[in-house]
Formats: sequence, structure tokens, C-alpha cells
Amino acid sequence: MLTIILILFTSLFFTGIILRTKSIASGRKGPGIFQPVKDVIRLFRKGAIYSETTSIIFRIAPVIYFSTVVMACLVIPFGSEKGVVSFDGDFIFFAYVLALGKFFSIISAMDTGSSFEGMGASREALYSMFAEPAFFILIGSFALFTGNTSFHAIFSSLHLGSSITYTLGGLAAFVLIMIAMIENSRMPVDDPKTHLELTMIHEVMILDNSGFDLGLILTAGFIKFAMYGAIIADFFIGSLALSLALPLFLLIQFTYAVLVGIVESFMARFRMSHNPQFILALSSVSFLIFLGVLLVLEKFV
Amino acid sequence: MTNVLLIIFIISLLYVTIGNRIITYVRVLALQGVLLFGVTFLQLHEIQTWNLVLILLETVVFKAVAVPMFLSYLIRRNKITRETEPYLPHFISLIIVTIIVVITVLLANSIKDTYLDKIFFIVSLSTLFTGLYFIATRKKIITHVMGYLMIENGVFVLSLAVGNEMPNLVNLGIMLDVFASVLILGIFLNKIGDVFKDVDVDQLTNLKDY
Repeated sequence: MLTIILILFTSLFFTGIILRTKSIASGRKGPGIFQPVKDVIRLFRKGAIYSETTSIIFRIAPVIYFSTVVMACLVIPFGSEKGVVSFDGDFIFFAYVLALGKFFSIISAMDTGSSFEGMGASREALYSMFAEPAFFILIGSFALFTGNTSFHAIFSSLHLGSSITYTLGGLAAFVLIMIAMIENSRMPVDDPKTHLELTMIHEVMILDNSGFDLGLILTAGFIKFAMYGAIIADFFIGSLALSLALPLFLLIQFTYAVLVGIVESFMARFRMSHNPQFILALSSVSFLIFLGVLLVLEKFV
Repeated sequence: MTNVLLIIFIISLLYVTIGNRIITYVRVLALQGVLLFGVTFLQLHEIQTWNLVLILLETVVFKAVAVPMFLSYLIRRNKITRETEPYLPHFISLIIVTIIVVITVLLANSIKDTYLDKIFFIVSLSTLFTGLYFIATRKKIITHVMGYLMIENGVFVLSLAVGNEMPNLVNLGIMLDVFASVLILGIFLNKIGDVFKDVDVDQLTNLKDY
């Protein structure tokens, strides 16, 4: 129960911190921390306009997208505290509930009949497809490592003892950050600031959404960021006491947001044709984590 | 700690396969030199001055500083273009190198030898095969040299795997090998770079009997 409150709480600040970091890095003062949230509130007060070519799918897709993200948040634990729901194999539930939301946002983009949106949808599908094995190999190796199959059990029984397990933890954090960047369509893969439809991925899919629907999609984006941040934080929290875990959680979320901001300020987006190999490299790294886990467990010989 | 360095070593192999510019290769070779120094240093049982100097000379001075500097000098002097120009896309290279690592792991797993340190064996074999793969799929001669240097790194790790006591002879042999290869190919490249404007192996196919 604690996680979902914390995720919703940090998601209020997250995008604001990213924007502020980017502003400071480019020598501006920048908008306030709450500006993105204020924008979304303004959007929530508006009605939505629907194109005549769209069908019911376009209308329900933003709601489904938003609710799947919230559902995915439910399974994430906080240290040794359980999530709202927790069962064996809930990391599969997590991945595929997010995939369901993504599926609906893709078909709603197709539904508008715009060629640009179809192109963006195809790219989004491709990149998510490549990111999926990385996530599963990663969490699967940790499931093997701890002998449990639910997020809560994995994270609460994760002991980082020797130097090799610390490496595995660091690598896992790196892979998760990169997966989060891909899933949120941020910098190395997609540029949220681009204004050319040909180079957009996520932004082009939501061009036709307006008003309330757009607000929902943006809110889902905020929550998604904080959600991945919570998973990364879980790797380090372990079974710490709550008084220590809470500041650590906030610190990790803050560092993560600043990191995203810095990466977006100082890196150029990859060329579109370089993205698949970059995302596949993440799968290779998670595979190394898997081999490392085999090594630690002495499954060799 | 050794395992950590070796895992970083394998990740550097993955990185080099999707590297787009030649300078990336040079940097990765330098990084590998530093990593090899770390591994060798941690493997030492007792520190003898002479042995330490030799290892330091071979790994840090030679592999991490001298060769990369010489290579980047060659690249600048011969005006070699910055792209690596592989025959296969990077994407396929990445898959192939991952498969190479998996196969070597399976191979190492099937060997029942108690004297062999498994992770060293895996790293050395996969570096060796990756180097060979590099030589086979890159167009430029300078990238072939880099593939060769990578193979040398693999052999170096292998010598650590087989015997904990590294005989100085093996040491010296490897060093001479690298030195000779870089020197000869460097001169070779200098000549080619001066005579032709391009050092593509592709151009050799234009040679014909009339």
C-alpha cells in the first residue's frame, strides 16, 4: 500500500525535476517544479475532440493505458513491505499489463488513419519488443538467484554479499534505467522535444489526443517514470528499516530524475537505425547478468 | 574482484561490436589493457619488483597507452575515414558475439578439468573468437590489426587461466608478438596510405591477370 502512495507522490515532482535540470543545464531558470502537473490539471478541465474517422477504440485507449499503468504499480513492493497485490510470477503480470496498455495506445494510433501515427506506432512496437527480452532475462536471473518468483519475495530476499553480486546489482540498475528510458520514450532512443513528425516515436502517437485524454496519457507517463524509479530503488533498499528506506527511496528517485535530465541535456538522440542494436545490447548485458548468476550459484561444472 | 573486471571485459567486447567509429575501437583496446593489468595484479601471489615492472610495462604502458596512441596517430596520418564499415550490420554482429559468448560458456561448462579457471577460460575464448570475427567482417586493414590485438588480449587472459604462475617467457613472447605485428602493419599501412588514398581491402579485388 505504501508503494502506490509513494509512487503517486514522487510522480508529482518527477517530470518537473527533469525539466528543471534541463533548464539549469542550458543556463535558464526554467518553469517551476509543478508546471507539468499544472499543465495536466488544465488539460483535465477541458473536453476532448475526436476525429470523425476514429472509432470507439480511440476513445477508450487513453483510459485503458492509464489504468494499466496504475495496475502495474500495484505489484511493486517497497523494501520488505508488500505491494497492494503480490503473488507468484507477478513480474510477468507487470510486464504484460504494461504491454496491454501499450497495445491499446498502438491500435488507437492506427485508428486515426494518419500515416505518421502509424509509423510512430510501428516504431514503438518494435522498440518495446526488443526491450522485453532484456527485462525478462534480468528479472528471471534474479528470480533464479533468490529462488522466488514474485517481486516482493525477490527484493526482500536479495542479499548483495560479494563483489560479484554488487556488479550484478549495478548492471541490473543500469539495464533497468535504460529500459525505463525506452518505455518512457526519453532521450537516447526518442526525443520528447522534437517537432518533426518523422523523427517522433511516442509524441507522434498521441498527436490526435486532446483535452482529457491527453491529460490521462501524460499522467500515465509521469507515473511510469516514478514506477521504474521505485523498482530501481527496491534493488538497493532490501530489508532496511522504514526510517532509512524512505529517504533512500526519495534520494534514488531524485537522482534518477536528475540523471534523466542530464542525459537529455548533453546527449544527442541516436539515429533511428541505431536504436534496435542499442536496445538489443541491453538484452546481451542482461544475458551476462544471467551467466553471472549461474556463476554465483555454482551451476557450472 | 577479478570476476568483476572480467565481466567488464566481456561488456567491452559487446560495446566494440556496435561501435560506429574507429576511435571507439582504439579506446576499448586501451580500456582492455587497463582491465588486464587489474586482473594480472590481483592474480599475483607475491609481488616481486621485476615481475611487477614487466607486467606493468606490458599491460598499462604497452597495451593501454603505446599501442592506442600509435593507432590513433596512424589513423590521423593516413587520413583513414572515421567509420568502421563492417560487411554485416552492427545488429547482426551483436547477435553473433552474444552467441559466441554463450557457446564458449557451454564449452567451458563441458570441460571437466579442475586446474582450469572457468571464467578466465570463457573470457579468453570469447575474446579470441570475437577478434577472429572482427577480422573476418571488417573492411579496413587497420580494423584487422585491432582484431589481431584483441586476439592477443584473449591469449593473454588464457595464459592467466592455464597457470597461475605466469612464466616470463610466455609474457615476453606475447609482448614481442604484439610489437612486431603493430610495427610491421603500421609500416605497411604507412606505405599504402601514402601510395593509395584509401586502404580498403575491397580495392585488392581489382587486381587481375590480363
